[in-house]
Amino acid sequence: MSISYDDIGDNLRRIVITGRLDMPGTDSVASTLGELIAAPKKGVVVDLSSLKFLASIGIRALITSAKAVQQRGGKMVLVVNGGSSVLMSLEATGVDQLIPVFRNAADAERAAVA
Amino acid sequence: MPKGQQSPDRPAGTERSALAGIDELTIGANGAEARRASEWLDTTCRRRNVPQALVERLALCLHEVLANVIAHGGSSALSAPIRLQFEVRLEQDCGKASVTVSDAGIAFNPLFVPNKILPKTLDKASAGGLGLVMIRRCSDWLDYRHEDGHNHLTFGARWNTR
Repeated sequence: MSISYDDIGDNLRRIVITGRLDMPGTDSVASTLGELIAAPKKGVVVDLSSLKFLASIGIRALITSAKAVQQRGGKMVLVVNGGSSVLMSLEATGVDQLIPVFRNAADAERAAVA
Repeated sequence: MPKGQQSPDRPAGTERSALAGIDELTIGANGAEARRASEWLDTTCRRRNVPQALVERLALCLHEVLANVIAHGGSSALSAPIRLQFEVRLEQDCGKASVTVSDAGIAFNPLFVPNKILPKTLDKASAGGLGLVMIRRCSDWLDYRHEDGHNHLTFGARWNTR
């Protein structure tokens, strides 16, 4: 389980989460995710392309993060592999309709700062 | 039957009978044990040649059921072991894989819970209540009974074998 970030210019932050966002995995990254989201960036890309498993507790953390970014006037988007278990979780809960999902990082970065 | 052992319910000697059977696991009620259960399910499904797409659906359902027991089952759920039973049945033209989760927590029948209306916008989204949505969307059937002071929730998925 890991979470890391890099800032791309002044307006965009990319956060990469790997491993499993199940109960223990989400517990281990939730506070860090909250801190990284709090940075005053216009756009936030959360890259889940190396994530293996996304449970509802992880989705809850993503929704909370996306709302926090939206409330300060920014936009959070996700990068997810097509056909993956992670995409299935997002689609099953309808969250792919609430938080924009992209298959590649370049499209996600453009959308986050648009 | 010893924990973690398989007990094929059909005679050995054919490919089909080697796939069918029952496996069991007993775990504690916490997140680390839920992860162990997920790994057990993955290994067991692979051994029984359950298609990968179904394995992922079953793993999500299992995690959400266990998360619900841990979060809402009360002290009786947390202090007693949770028993898992995985079963594969092969019928004429389809396979059925199911998991039964038995816990000693507060009686809870998820079949009585109305479907959650999913929000259309992020600002109207609530962060909770998605576990049951996921279970319903990722399983082909659900069954519940309360017996001997335990909840017994079964979820399953089927696939075509022809």
